[in-house]
Amino acid sequence: MAHKDDAPQAVPDTPGTRRHGDGVRRRRPLRQRHVEETVEVAVPVRTAYNQWTQFKTFPRFSTVVHGVEQIRPTMTAWTIGYGPLRHRFAVEIVEQDPDAYLAWRGLEQHPSHQGEVEFRPTASGGTAITVRMLLEPRGAARILTRSSRATRLTARSVRGELMNFKRFIEGLGQEGGAWRGTIRNGRVQHDHPEPPRSRVAQWPVG
Amino acid sequence: MQNPPGEEPETTLSVTPPKKWAAGVPAVVHALEYSLEQTSPRKTGVDLLAMNQVGGIDCPGCAWADPAPSRRHRNEYCENGAKHINDEATTRRITADFFREHSVADLAARSDMWLNQQGRLTEPMIKRPGSEHYEPISWNDVLGVFAQELKALDSPDEAVFYTSGRASNEAAFVLQLFARAFGTNNLPDCSNMCHESSGFALSETLGTGKGTVSLTDLHHADLIFLVGQNPGSNHPRQLSALEEAKRNGCRIVAVNPLPEAGLRRFKNPQKASGVLGRGTQIADRFLHIKPGGDLALFQALNLLLLEAEDAAPGSVLDHDFIDAHTTGFEEFARHVRTVDWDDVRTATGLTRAEIEKVRDEVLDSERVIVCWAMGITQHKHGVPTVREIVNFLMLRGNLGRAGTGACPVRGHSNVQGDRTMGIWEQMPDTFLDALQKEFGFDPPRPHGLDSVDSIKAMREGRVKVFLALAGNFVRAAPDSEATEEAMRSCRLTAHISTKLNRSHTVCGDTALILPTLGRTERDVQADGEQFVTVENSMSEVHTSQGRLEPASPLLLSEVAILCRLARRTVNGKADIPWDMFEGDYGTIRDRISRIVPGFHDFNARVTRPGGFQLPNPVNEGVFNNKVGKAVFTSNERVVPRAPEGHLLLQTLRSHDQWNTIPYTDNDRYRGIHGSRHVVLVNPADLTELGLAQGDHVDLVSVWGDGSERRAENFEVVPYPAAKGSAAAYYPETNVLVPLDSVADISNQPTSKGIIVRLEPVLDRTQPATA
Repeated sequence: MAHKDDAPQAVPDTPGTRRHGDGVRRRRPLRQRHVEETVEVAVPVRTAYNQWTQFKTFPRFSTVVHGVEQIRPTMTAWTIGYGPLRHRFAVEIVEQDPDAYLAWRGLEQHPSHQGEVEFRPTASGGTAITVRMLLEPRGAARILTRSSRATRLTARSVRGELMNFKRFIEGLGQEGGAWRGTIRNGRVQHDHPEPPRSRVAQWPVG
Repeated sequence: MQNPPGEEPETTLSVTPPKKWAAGVPAVVHALEYSLEQTSPRKTGVDLLAMNQVGGIDCPGCAWADPAPSRRHRNEYCENGAKHINDEATTRRITADFFREHSVADLAARSDMWLNQQGRLTEPMIKRPGSEHYEPISWNDVLGVFAQELKALDSPDEAVFYTSGRASNEAAFVLQLFARAFGTNNLPDCSNMCHESSGFALSETLGTGKGTVSLTDLHHADLIFLVGQNPGSNHPRQLSALEEAKRNGCRIVAVNPLPEAGLRRFKNPQKASGVLGRGTQIADRFLHIKPGGDLALFQALNLLLLEAEDAAPGSVLDHDFIDAHTTGFEEFARHVRTVDWDDVRTATGLTRAEIEKVRDEVLDSERVIVCWAMGITQHKHGVPTVREIVNFLMLRGNLGRAGTGACPVRGHSNVQGDRTMGIWEQMPDTFLDALQKEFGFDPPRPHGLDSVDSIKAMREGRVKVFLALAGNFVRAAPDSEATEEAMRSCRLTAHISTKLNRSHTVCGDTALILPTLGRTERDVQADGEQFVTVENSMSEVHTSQGRLEPASPLLLSEVAILCRLARRTVNGKADIPWDMFEGDYGTIRDRISRIVPGFHDFNARVTRPGGFQLPNPVNEGVFNNKVGKAVFTSNERVVPRAPEGHLLLQTLRSHDQWNTIPYTDNDRYRGIHGSRHVVLVNPADLTELGLAQGDHVDLVSVWGDGSERRAENFEVVPYPAAKGSAAAYYPETNVLVPLDSVADISNQPTSKGIIVRLEPVLDRTQPATA
């Protein structure tokens, strides 16, 4: 949340976004990267993207993620942890382009985090997946994670998760579902007059 | 456990200062005290530990959403929910002897509280024409009486089928199917009297009749408005969500004519800080608004946002959203720019500086939610006010993004689900076509009667049979005298009920009591133990399954009663397997899944832990209205005014009350003890009116139809109500709400903003002097 001393900000300007030449506001690539890791997977981009965006399946391959609740396309709640420790946080997906890109930000203020995932086809027909994450811990956690060692640990963890995903999707060979929608600035965009999830009772409720 | 009261308890009014915080240890103590008065410690424990748990009992108390299954507390209920569920689980029983002892006239003279305290109904009863007493009747015969009366009608439209929001999805679906197979769309419901204005305004502007937020949105909003609602008494579990939002840095603006305790501070009894500490401050800013001034407030806020945009173009409004997803902005902006600050001051009682501070809060916030309840919808201009709230949200794109949205806070636990199931007198052809295809009959197409129009039709003799699925229609409806006259005009009134209430005592020539299972009780049918489903205020559909043995072996479930009534009345008219429906509620859900959009795989999805959430099209970027876009509206200014010497009255519930039923005469948050016949008035108004604390007055409402509506002998209590306003308890003051006084467009009775005068009561024991 902004402070009173700040100049008024237009609501749609979610942090790290800018307007492109085509008039569409898209997320600016993270500059201040805490972590960047890339892995190549031997499945087509569409397959990798479709599986990645089935967030509820993350616990099937991840050693850190214990549960994901998909509240709606733009909002998820994640439970992560090591051993007996658990932490739950909500995440907003602010940008999503099928087969190309996904950006998120945490909705908690402490600690805050944001990140992005890029999907690029490789010459061999596979997919290069790049994850960039920026963590902004507060208080004691900020002091503890200030060292480069903490950054390396985070990077190692992200790399480990990417390797887990690689084994998962390469083993499965094909995705277990798909959501092909587009998200811009935290809002679902639709190019279909009646997307399936809009087919609900429309009459007034008293 | 205590025996029911034999006579009305005599109590006197005492007044203490209003509380500055809600819940805490006293909430636990009061809940347990009441529960143990009603039932055994074992039953209390079984009920409470199953309440709002996965696979447990959905609290019938309110429609607030449950946390995700993994985040629920072992004790996931509030004081009012605990009281309500144990009020139903009471060990007190009403038998045939009770009705032999008490005539209908005797019962009609009793208070709502006394009637409720007598306990659970245990067997079908009938009051025959000319008789003064209810008497026992077998289920077979009572169904026969009902079927005979329905078949004797000249037209199906001479019957009305009312639904209370406590009814399950399955019972509601069966009821509307029964009514339509019989041949009428006369399906009034309690929605007509609570959030009808929200439904109409949201459907018109956003193409959805439901709220757009989830609990996670609330937890992560930057700014939440609580407008015309009292969460401390009417939806206490909302306070936990607000507490979490505050912990995440949210600020809260409360807008209300009364500074309610629950808007000020919340002591969460499940946390050490709530038991031992000061709890959580809820409202960071309180706007002490006059009743009905909310439309003017949001218009003023919208003007200030437009002016902020003028001063710093491109920095305030969400042009991307407005350009791509809305229509009507230019006309709206032109209209709002004509706002007159003098009118705003008169309508709201707020200064421009106060409203500008709220604007600053809005500009500082990326994610904004507006919650509202009946303090908005029950005004004549309830629909335009909700529309203006939507305008406000749209200006900065506070729709369809995480942590933003519109949140109408509903009361009855399944009031939203019943409407989803087709309990509406104006259902669209798409729904009726689906019924026709599924069951092979032609549902009637002309619109039916809502609650207000049903009362008018009964009074005029156009409706002769009234069936109520739960509820207490006589006390929930406005203009009590007119409503009672309407009920007494019927040939037959029938109520499917768990407990006795005034609607059983103000009845037609023939009256039937059809006793039914409560939510807390096991429901065993031919196919085995059943569960039912409900939909909460945030569109989550989940199961509810009772744990206790039924209050009587003669009780039938709501679904069973309706299926048997239908079988006796419309059997053979359509291809509807009433027997199968009664024996296995899963077969009803199968049909719902084919008829109601969004309920595909209903049986499979609803049994997942926590059930499933119906998507809201707005959050999918879809506006399902006529234009396919969100609509900015231009709403005529309204400045509620009371003539000199008069006040604007709002009716409200006490803290110790569930809908029409008070549990005690106390309202401890407001410092009222021992009486409900009080009127809360601003001290400055009392001085102007020449009244003082303890004076007794009649409340007389002003309405131009020549009828005098009078609520007699209320004691005056000085209270920080907004200047020019008064407050008194519902349903005692429903008598003051004229039947014709309804909200524009929605036809919802206006239980807020009633113009009243306070007439001092002369000592009635002394002869009047000339």
